[in-house]
Amino acid sequence: MALEDFAAEMDRCSQCSYCKWIPFDQVKSWRFAKNCPSIAYHNFNSYSARGRYAVARSLIKGQSGYSDTVRKIVFTCMTCGSCDVSCKVCRYNLEPLEMARELKFRLVEDGQGLDEHQAIIESLNKEHNTLGRPRAERGAWADDLDVPRLYADKAEVLFHAGCRFSYDRELQGVARTAVRLLKQAGVDVGIMGQREMCCGGRVYSMGYRETFTRFAQANLKAWDRAGVKTVVTSCADGYHAFKRLYPKLGSQVEVLHTVEFIARLIKEGQLTFRTAVPLTVTYHDPCHLGRQGEPYVPWEGVEKKIKNQIVVYEPRRPRYNGAWGVYDPPRDILRSIPGVELVEMERIREYSWCCGAGGGVREAYPEFSRWTAGERIEEARATGAEALVSACPWCERNFKDAVKALGDSLQVYDIVELVQKAM
Amino acid sequence: MTLARNVYKALEDIVGPENISDDPAVLDSYRYSLAHTAIHIGPYYDTFTPRGEAVLLPGSTEEVQAIVKLCNKYKIKFKASSTFWSAQGYPSGENTIQLDMRRMDRILEIDEKNMFAVIEPGVIGATLQAEAMKLGLNTHLPGSGCSCSILAGATSYFGSGPSNLYGGWHYDNLLALEWVMPTGEILRTGSLGAGCGWFCGEGPGPSMKGVARGFLGAKGAMGVFTKCAIKLFAWPGPQTLPVEGTIPAYRVSLPDNFKAYTVAFPSWRAWADAAHMIWDAGIGYLAHRQFNMFGRDLKFAMIKILTDPTKTLGDLEELLEDPEVQKVTQESMRDFQIVLAGMTRRDMAWQEKVLDEILRRTGGWKVEAMNEPEIHDWALLYLIRLGHKNLNLVYAGGYDGCFGFLGAPDYGTTYVEEAAEFKREWEKRGAIVEAGGDCMMGPIGGQGGGGTCLWENFTCFDPHDKDSVEGTLEFFDACTELGLKRGWGVGMEKWNAAARGPDGRTPPKEERDRIHLAAPQPSVFRYQHRVKEALNPNDLGDAYYETLED
Ligand code: SF4
Ligand code: SF4
Repeated sequence: MALEDFAAEMDRCSQCSYCKWIPFDQVKSWRFAKNCPSIAYHNFNSYSARGRYAVARSLIKGQSGYSDTVRKIVFTCMTCGSCDVSCKVCRYNLEPLEMARELKFRLVEDGQGLDEHQAIIESLNKEHNTLGRPRAERGAWADDLDVPRLYADKAEVLFHAGCRFSYDRELQGVARTAVRLLKQAGVDVGIMGQREMCCGGRVYSMGYRETFTRFAQANLKAWDRAGVKTVVTSCADGYHAFKRLYPKLGSQVEVLHTVEFIARLIKEGQLTFRTAVPLTVTYHDPCHLGRQGEPYVPWEGVEKKIKNQIVVYEPRRPRYNGAWGVYDPPRDILRSIPGVELVEMERIREYSWCCGAGGGVREAYPEFSRWTAGERIEEARATGAEALVSACPWCERNFKDAVKALGDSLQVYDIVELVQKAM
Repeated sequence: MTLARNVYKALEDIVGPENISDDPAVLDSYRYSLAHTAIHIGPYYDTFTPRGEAVLLPGSTEEVQAIVKLCNKYKIKFKASSTFWSAQGYPSGENTIQLDMRRMDRILEIDEKNMFAVIEPGVIGATLQAEAMKLGLNTHLPGSGCSCSILAGATSYFGSGPSNLYGGWHYDNLLALEWVMPTGEILRTGSLGAGCGWFCGEGPGPSMKGVARGFLGAKGAMGVFTKCAIKLFAWPGPQTLPVEGTIPAYRVSLPDNFKAYTVAFPSWRAWADAAHMIWDAGIGYLAHRQFNMFGRDLKFAMIKILTDPTKTLGDLEELLEDPEVQKVTQESMRDFQIVLAGMTRRDMAWQEKVLDEILRRTGGWKVEAMNEPEIHDWALLYLIRLGHKNLNLVYAGGYDGCFGFLGAPDYGTTYVEEAAEFKREWEKRGAIVEAGGDCMMGPIGGQGGGGTCLWENFTCFDPHDKDSVEGTLEFFDACTELGLKRGWGVGMEKWNAAARGPDGRTPPKEERDRIHLAAPQPSVFRYQHRVKEALNPNDLGDAYYETLED
């Protein structure tokens, strides 16, 4: 796709501003009714999906050119997809999230990317990770794990740790626990260890489509060589990349998030919890596991009109609107841990508020990223929960950092950490 | 023309550098496409409202006042808008700055005992309703839906919608007001002006509601309204709507003192009689001919799509072939929706009885398919929250209303078939969605004492398709011609023609005068001219405040 391919959508966006709010049916208060961090923070219309359609049209028609302001408008989009969900409460022929991504691709192709993102691309090219860390240290998180390394061995199931778990020492216990759980369940599981490479998902959301494609193809090749049929990951960004982006490049590998796997073990009676974890928790749906974690449905087709002017697609186009994301498995896990009381925030499931780490915002606009996390922390606080639980290391890292910056005492966990406590 | 740097700097000093921009891309995100037009001035292909010179996001009344004073000093026009639903909120010519009021979005107070809220411009219907419900209260939501500013509906437009029946129009509901007048002075109207609080719009203190609002609302053309009090009414339901279901088929199951019916009638005469009887009896929480906006032929198939998360518009044709869908479509040809809400069980039982009796007397019926629990609970939520108004534009992104029968129920029902037949013929030409001719939507009663209906016949088109847009425009011209010939007057398709022309700008004075002189009551505009001379001497608004010189 090219930005020009969205010209019809730019005209058909009805300028209604539904993309600035959670679905109105779900509004429970004044305080937590907004959905798009980008416009909630910056306020100009341009920072919403509606505004981005207008900005994109202005650019492709040559009515405006690149400027620092335009770069900021484009790259402060978290690509969290909340606008997409709200828009599609009523609309069936717009893809605002796809358009926001395409706008980033265009700026990057035109050499208008951000220096902060460029540094990540350099790290990726050189060290195969987004964190600027040495490639040689990537496998260290699993040094004490007795699992096959699939560059030398073969296994049907691959556990992909991802950049954040591989290098973030405070968090990487989650990845170790996940692998142990897989092993305990008798799964033929291996890891790529030191040779694991970034999934590419995060740079895709920053606008680097070509870099993403290179890494995706390299990963698919490595998986193929190792005979991998299923990939399990504890990272929501990785999950989304493997589940929704890789199939476009031909991947047929089954993709599971750890929460799906654990929920399945619990349901089948293969995992029971003995230790009570007395904690009131609230669950944060990661954007890439929740609303963007819907199954991929292949489609190739064209637009057509029925009843003169109703815009539909031939054949019927799959609809991604957050209806079928991964929402229940994490909640089922939390409910099955003795002592844990789950209380919900106002914005949940498909209309969850983003953690603030998406789309390269954490790296390029740290203050805005922290504010976004702070909003969520306040929402979590309003439930009376003692802990905020998520299922993505990027969310967890952003929340932990924001809690620290705010001097708050809210505990932040990955759901696997609670599972481990309860085992 | 761009703002002189010293003026920009002076404005920046007022709001801070993060709350002003004149970047062309930002300015272009504050231009409204007249090719899709959500309200009555188009459509015109590839045409946008003019680019403002700058956009400002004021954060307080003091900032607004300082901006307005500066505009007077430098003779710069300004246009304030809160939620930007329609073209009315955007500049109409050069030398205009856009004020985006979204930062002023606080609910300052909800006076539970006296049943009103004090709000800023950025407060939308959904958030006010959610907060009011916590206290057993509710707000009337204008027909544009809960995404829109409540203050804007009350001060700057009709403020009419489904809950007129119980909640009143917002021009009635508007109480005291804080108004930064076009000269930059602040006027506090009603009880607020006498230092007695917000509870009354008409006094003690200056009774200026009519002056401030003007004819059908000030439309952002006469200063800036920075706070207002709005009347609330009783909500006999839970503090939070217990919403269930898979997006977009959200639904709400409320206690049995709530019921959403779709009622239909054997004739339009019976329809009108029922509307009158509902008013006479005083039943109903809200009533609207809502889902007919999808078109008489398509509405039930659309409801099937909207209540099933696995379906899309791509399923429409197949659904239209379904005999069950066809049966319900036929059965609900002359319909409207009514929500009953009982303040007590006895009240509910009485309202149910009255509705049944009205149906018995008029030969009407309840459309049973709409009582299926999943559809009923979806419709109930839809009507109470009014959070799906972007469905107005579901087909291809463009719609506008034509005709617009504003009057007692008998008026609209007398001409509905003629107007529908006229549209049906035009639908065959291909430019607009073929939906059955009758796509008329509107409240069944707008004002007390008999009910006023306002029926706009939804005309849906593709704003990206030049032929569709031009064909729609041709159709609208034909509607106007028919309306004038039949004595219905100029329809909604041209209502704002005096304020904004086909190029997105204010039409020339001669054109405006011609339109105003041809209006049923030109003196309204003469009166407004006098008001404008007195209160807006530098003419810093636009022609949405409609005037006619003596
Ligand atoms: S993807 Fe998220 S941040 Fe970007 S416009 Fe949509 S809601 Fe806003
Ligand atoms: S992107 Fe969707 S929700 Fe936002 S203004 Fe456009 S149509 Fe409305």
